[in-house]
Amino acid sequence: MLQEGALVAVIGAALAFAANALSPHGLLLTKNYFPGTSVTLPAPVGVVTNVLGASAAKTNSPGELLSARFRAEGLQLADSNRVVQFFQDPRREQDGVIFIDARDEEHFQVGHIPGAYHFDRFHPESYLTNVLQVCLTAQEIVFYCNGGECDDSEHAAIMLRDSLAIPKEKLFVYGGGITEWATNGLPIELGPRNSGQLTNLVKSATGNKVGQASRLPAPAGQTGDSKP
Amino acid sequence: MNILSSSSKRRPRDIVALLARWLLGGLFIYLGLNKVFHPVEFLTFLRQQLMVTNPSLSGMIAATVPWLEVLYGLVLFTGIALDAAAVLARWWLGCVFIYMGLHKALPHPEFFLKLVRQYDMVTDPLFLNSIGAALPWFEVYCGLLLVCGIAIRGSALMLAAMLVPFSLVVLNRALTIAAVSGKAFCAVKFDCGCGAGEVFICHKLVENTVLLLLTSWLLSGRGRQLCLRYDLFREQAPALAQPEPVMPPAT
Repeated sequence: MLQEGALVAVIGAALAFAANALSPHGLLLTKNYFPGTSVTLPAPVGVVTNVLGASAAKTNSPGELLSARFRAEGLQLADSNRVVQFFQDPRREQDGVIFIDARDEEHFQVGHIPGAYHFDRFHPESYLTNVLQVCLTAQEIVFYCNGGECDDSEHAAIMLRDSLAIPKEKLFVYGGGITEWATNGLPIELGPRNSGQLTNLVKSATGNKVGQASRLPAPAGQTGDSKP
Repeated sequence: MNILSSSSKRRPRDIVALLARWLLGGLFIYLGLNKVFHPVEFLTFLRQQLMVTNPSLSGMIAATVPWLEVLYGLVLFTGIALDAAAVLARWWLGCVFIYMGLHKALPHPEFFLKLVRQYDMVTDPLFLNSIGAALPWFEVYCGLLLVCGIAIRGSALMLAAMLVPFSLVVLNRALTIAAVSGKAFCAVKFDCGCGAGEVFICHKLVENTVLLLLTSWLLSGRGRQLCLRYDLFREQAPALAQPEPVMPPAT
């Protein structure tokens, strides 16, 4: 039985690697899909993780832990208020401030932050040309994915930073992700980028469609120049 | 396995086999009744995970499959038609692994890769990618061998070699999540990378126990009927249930 099991294992392993190589969705064995540090499981409150080290000994809240982790990776955490400021920033119209959705195609089509570029880090060859130029010229880049335990935005930011030599000061990661964005009632764009199909639209008394973006809080020092 | 009638010949191995069969039968009855009493969850599973979107078909499956599981559990429990039950177990086990493997491998193997990484067992990218790339297809391969009836014990051995460590790391992760979140153990729900999406951990462990017991049953030599080649290194063995020819009395 052991002999047969060994033979099954050897043939199976060879066939499995061959199937992966032939599959159009197959993984590249030599590629590092998770650049940066590797913290995935939530640690109990007050427990120091081996990655953060002693610097995190006195941090307790999940936001502080996330922020410390991003700092260790040379990234900046953006909370919901900061992201709203980015969204309302007039520079966004000229791609001075851009959003990059790091989720897969299916999730992007279901809904994304209006005007966000799409970059699926697992298939960079298909998306890099879309974001290459804007990443080099943008002054601030905000990456997001689903939020929570999703770390695709973090790895996408590291991947683009390392491959395009983007200064780390330009990179922000929205920790709450699209889940927090939608929960806050902010506008969601359906379909491809700039499709103009927004959800959470309410009809005003005059019959004009008004996006939820009009409910965005005005950032300090700016008028409410929201852009759905 | 007629040990009830011949108690004087009971051996420890037979008793263990009997208890394992009763446990397996009981678990099948439990899983079937669980679906009977929670039909909405089962229907959701059919539609979202198995992609059975036709309401009539999903309704029919939801109405019949739970009772078939109960019936199968009763068959195991009573010991009736065990050879046929073993062949069904082989086919069912093979189909489960084919489905689970394909669900992981297509169309987004990177999802499975992320789930493997969450266990923090492997840090080397090459090793991690190898697991993420090969394991789903290896499951499909073992499943196909079981369905076709080729190298049954070798395939079952490989499945057991995957199931035992996988169940242990899932258990470990669930204990960690329960400790971190303060939830009750059975309230912990997460995507363990088994190919069925988010599941409650207790239910997952019951399912894995069933899979492991079925695998052990095949390892013990059952399920020889309707095999293309049961054993790779020997001549085709006669079926267990086949009665020995009765010699006519000498005259």
